Formats: sequence, C-alpha cells, structure tokens
Amino acid sequence: MKTAHEIRPGNVIMLDGSPWVVLKTETTRSGRNAAIVKLKLKNVLLDSTTETTFKGDDKLDDIILERLDCTYSYYADPMYVFMDAEYNQYDVEAENLGDAAAYIVDGMEDICQVTFYEEKAISVELPITVAREVTYTEPSARGDTSGKVMKPATIAGGSTLSVADFVKTGDMIEIDTRTNEFKKRV
Amino acid sequence: MTHCEVKPLKATNHWDIFCCVVDNYGDIGVTWRLAKQLTNEYQFNITLWVDDLKSFCHILPQLDPSLNSQQHSGVHINLWADPLPVRYQAADVVIEAFACDLPGSVVEAMHAQHQAHKRDNSTPAAPVWLNLEYLSAESWVEGCHGLPSMQNNGLKKHFYFPGFTPQTGGLICEKDTLDKRTVWQSNRHNRRQLFSKLGLSNIDDNDTVISVFSYETASLLGLCQLWMQSTKRIHALIPQGRSLNSLTSLLPCAIAELSAGQQIVHGNLTLHILPMTDQQGYDQLLWSCDVNIVRGEDSFLRAQWAAKPFIWHIYPQDDDYHLEKLAAFLQSYCDNLSPQASKICRSLNMAFNTEQAGATAEEWQKLDFIQPEMSLHAQQWPINILNDADLASRLVQFVKNS
Repeated sequence: MKTAHEIRPGNVIMLDGSPWVVLKTETTRSGRNAAIVKLKLKNVLLDSTTETTFKGDDKLDDIILERLDCTYSYYADPMYVFMDAEYNQYDVEAENLGDAAAYIVDGMEDICQVTFYEEKAISVELPITVAREVTYTEPSARGDTSGKVMKPATIAGGSTLSVADFVKTGDMIEIDTRTNEFKKRV
Repeated sequence: MTHCEVKPLKATNHWDIFCCVVDNYGDIGVTWRLAKQLTNEYQFNITLWVDDLKSFCHILPQLDPSLNSQQHSGVHINLWADPLPVRYQAADVVIEAFACDLPGSVVEAMHAQHQAHKRDNSTPAAPVWLNLEYLSAESWVEGCHGLPSMQNNGLKKHFYFPGFTPQTGGLICEKDTLDKRTVWQSNRHNRRQLFSKLGLSNIDDNDTVISVFSYETASLLGLCQLWMQSTKRIHALIPQGRSLNSLTSLLPCAIAELSAGQQIVHGNLTLHILPMTDQQGYDQLLWSCDVNIVRGEDSFLRAQWAAKPFIWHIYPQDDDYHLEKLAAFLQSYCDNLSPQASKICRSLNMAFNTEQAGATAEEWQKLDFIQPEMSLHAQQWPINILNDADLASRLVQFVKNS
C-alpha cells in the first residue's frame, strides 16, 4: 500500500477490483495543510480513463506487477518503444505514459521501469530525477543567485517549468519527475 | 455498542454531517450553518455529529454538552464518540466535513448497504458520500470539485469544494441573509440596540466601530497603536480569544480576568471586550460595524455578506502556503476595483497576514482615500459572487445528479 501522496505516474493501482495505470498526479494543498491528490487513471482492462481525487494520506493498493529496467529507444506513433538489457523491445501506448511523456527525448539514457500486465507493457515509470537541457529561457532579469526567484523555461522535449532565475539557455538542469519541479543546475 | 442496519428505500432527505472540531469556531461554524440551512430551506432530516460539544456551546449556548443526542433549530445533534453512543443508521447522504475520517462503523454501514444493493437492486444504493472541503479561491479547485474518490471497498466518495466560481460548489449563504442584512442596515437604531444589548456603551453614531476576530498577529497591535492616535474615536470590539493574545501590552490585567463589557481606553481607541454570541448575533455585529477583521472560513464569508470592508486573517499554513490562497482570493475580490483601491486592499491584507505592523498601519491610513469605492464594492460583491447559487442549492443539485 502507498499513500496517495506517494503515487507516481506509471504506478498501477487496484480500485474496485480493476487495475488502473496512473497517468498523471497533481498534488495541491487544502486548508490546514492537508494534501489533496488528483489522479488521472487509465483502466488497464477497459482502456477507459478517469480523474479521481484522494486525500494525501489515503491508502491505495499499488499492485506489484512484473517490471523491467529499460531505456527509451524510439517513438513510432502512437507507441513509445523501450528496450531492455537483452535488446528486447516493448511498445507502450503514448497515452499510458501520461505526464512522463514530457521527459521522453531522443538519446536519453535514463533507466526507466516498464510495467507489464498479462505480458503487455502498460506503463513506464521514470527515475525520480532526470537531467534535461534548457532549450529556452529569458535572461536573468534581476541577477538573482539565491534560487528563490523563479522564471519559466522550456526544456528538451518542449515542456515548460519554473526554474531558478540564474539558469540560462543551454544549461542542464535536474528535475524531480514526481513533482515536475526544478531541483538544481548540473 | 454501535449498530449498523440497512434502511428501507426512501427519498434522499436524511443527511448525516460529521464534524471534527479543530478550533472552537471554524469547522463547527460552517457545518452548523449548513445543517440549519438544509433543515430550514429544504426540510431535510439533518443529523450533525460533533466530536466536541463543549466547543460547540460557544456558538450554540443552548446546547447541553452532557447529552449524547439533542435537537436544536430542527437539527439533530449527536455526540460523535468512539464508539458512537447512539444507534447508527446509514443516511441517504453522508458528509464528512473538512476531510475528517468517518467512524469505521459508519463506513461499514454504508458498505453493507452497497453490498446489499449489489445483490438486490430494489434495496437502496449506498449513501451519497461527500467530503466537504475547505473554501479556496485557487484555480485548481475548479478541476477537483465534484471528482469521485474511488474507495478500495467499492464505495465512491466525492470531493465537494466550496468556491467563488460557477464551476465550484458555491458559498454558504442562507437565502434570506442579504435581505435581513439590508433591513438591519437601513435603520441605525438596530446598531444602537445591538451595542446596548452587548453591553457596549459610549459609542456615538459618528465613531468608527471595528469588530476584531483574528488569530494572533503583531499587525493587530500595530493597528491599535495607530487607532489610539486617530482624530476620530475608534472602538475595537474584541471577543475573549486569540486576538487578545496580541494585545496584552494594552490590557490592564490578564486575559482571563477580563470580563464581557469591559472597556479599555487608550487615547482615542476604546477596546471593548465582547461577550460570546451565537451565529445570528455575530452576523448582526458584522452588519453593524464599519470595518470587520475576520479569520478562517466562516467569519470570512459572513464578513462578505455583511457588505462592509474587511481584513481577512487567513488560517496560517506551512511554508506560507496560506499566502497563495489569500492572493487567489484578493485577485478575485479586487478584480473590479480601481488600480488604487485594488493595490491598497491587497497590500493591507498581505501586510496584516505577514505580521508587518508598520505596513499594515500605513495601508490602513490609505483606506480613507478609497472608502466610498470600497463600500460600494462591498455591497455589490455578494450579489456578483453568489450568482443565485449558494452552496446549499448547488449541493442539493449535486446530490440529485449523483
């Protein structure tokens, strides 16, 4: 069991007797510091998607399915193809990657975990931290070096996030894939 | 011993509301208002389960905290103890207020009903189960309002978010609140009579009267020090409680030794110690003051319905997250104001909430420049924001659609 707060895109949870792939997680804070976790889920059996909400400390039954360490190989619309150490290839539907798709870029060497259900690759879990190149960000406006002042940046793959003001175009940055937050410049 | 049983099919008019009292007034204030409104306006059979009846007494003095079960204003009030001291029968609608964890026996009863319905669909389905969340003006609320929360036992709970936009669950406001307020404020005699009833003396019609119901903050002391020097007479009406913790340097004795009706004069400022009042009395107080300083959720909303300028002392959260919530509200509240009024209103609330006593006093002094605009805005805001759909009516519709 995991708390809703610990659930990540790529996890598979059992709800009402069905396995669901977690496509997207969004944590917000309600009153008195309580966390609220919104999940976008895909029913593995029915291929249907739904959105659902949990209290941060709600216990969810994450099911342990077969997993393999893989690296991203290439994209063949609508499938992302991953490969294990023995060069076996596994197709994962683009939709099943959910938020993780934002960090899939050609040439990436991150070790991802591909999850299988009844021998079918159904989801991909990224490492907690990935390093990506900043492809565009405005120059520092205030010369701030504290890391507290933030500004938007686009990273390889096209997604955007807030980064510290001192980050420049071309820098490599570490990102927490659980929260999609900037961690540091590398 | 708690009993669980499946009830016969009937209309969805029996609602249970569970409230865990966290502070003395907030959570219970909201749930008590909602319970009364659903009873009065919809004639529902409402049971309010409360885990702390002594705290409840502060806003419902008629309540007997020694009783496990009693009825006031048409609402059944039960003590929520573990195990439940009264026989539990699953209602048609079960509301857990502010994400309080329901008693296991209640969840079991709902689950038993769900299982029975699966076996025989002529029996009633499981109750509509709602988590009534805290009020927030943040944009994410629209995306979470009404979403289901699938439970491991097959039950489905829905998150119900109050809010300021049509895509949210609305705001608690009884249908007659604004009319009652208008009538009250149309006759200055009501204010005099209320002050007299509360034991507040020496308040002239031209004096500025401010109600204060805040958490502890240095900003309050900063304001009081400013008010002492005011050219007009100012009266700060303060109940015994957390606000006074910030004003000990102005008090002649320990807080516990203060008595209702006591006046403490410093220059042109008179601090009046207020007696505790019920919710109706508090509304009338807000309607009667020139400015209200309010806190949390319930008094915050009531101050908006009072149509008077107010400062909101928001419940503090870790990492100053509450300031994001405050900013989200101010963004909405100040949207139609002139740039000058918007800036002053935002700066005053932010300064108060970040304990910047000097800045709070400075911004307060600017209120004079925008007073007519703020008063007009305060009148129009409730009409705009309620948009003919208060929380109870949206909630009832939500349940019907569920």
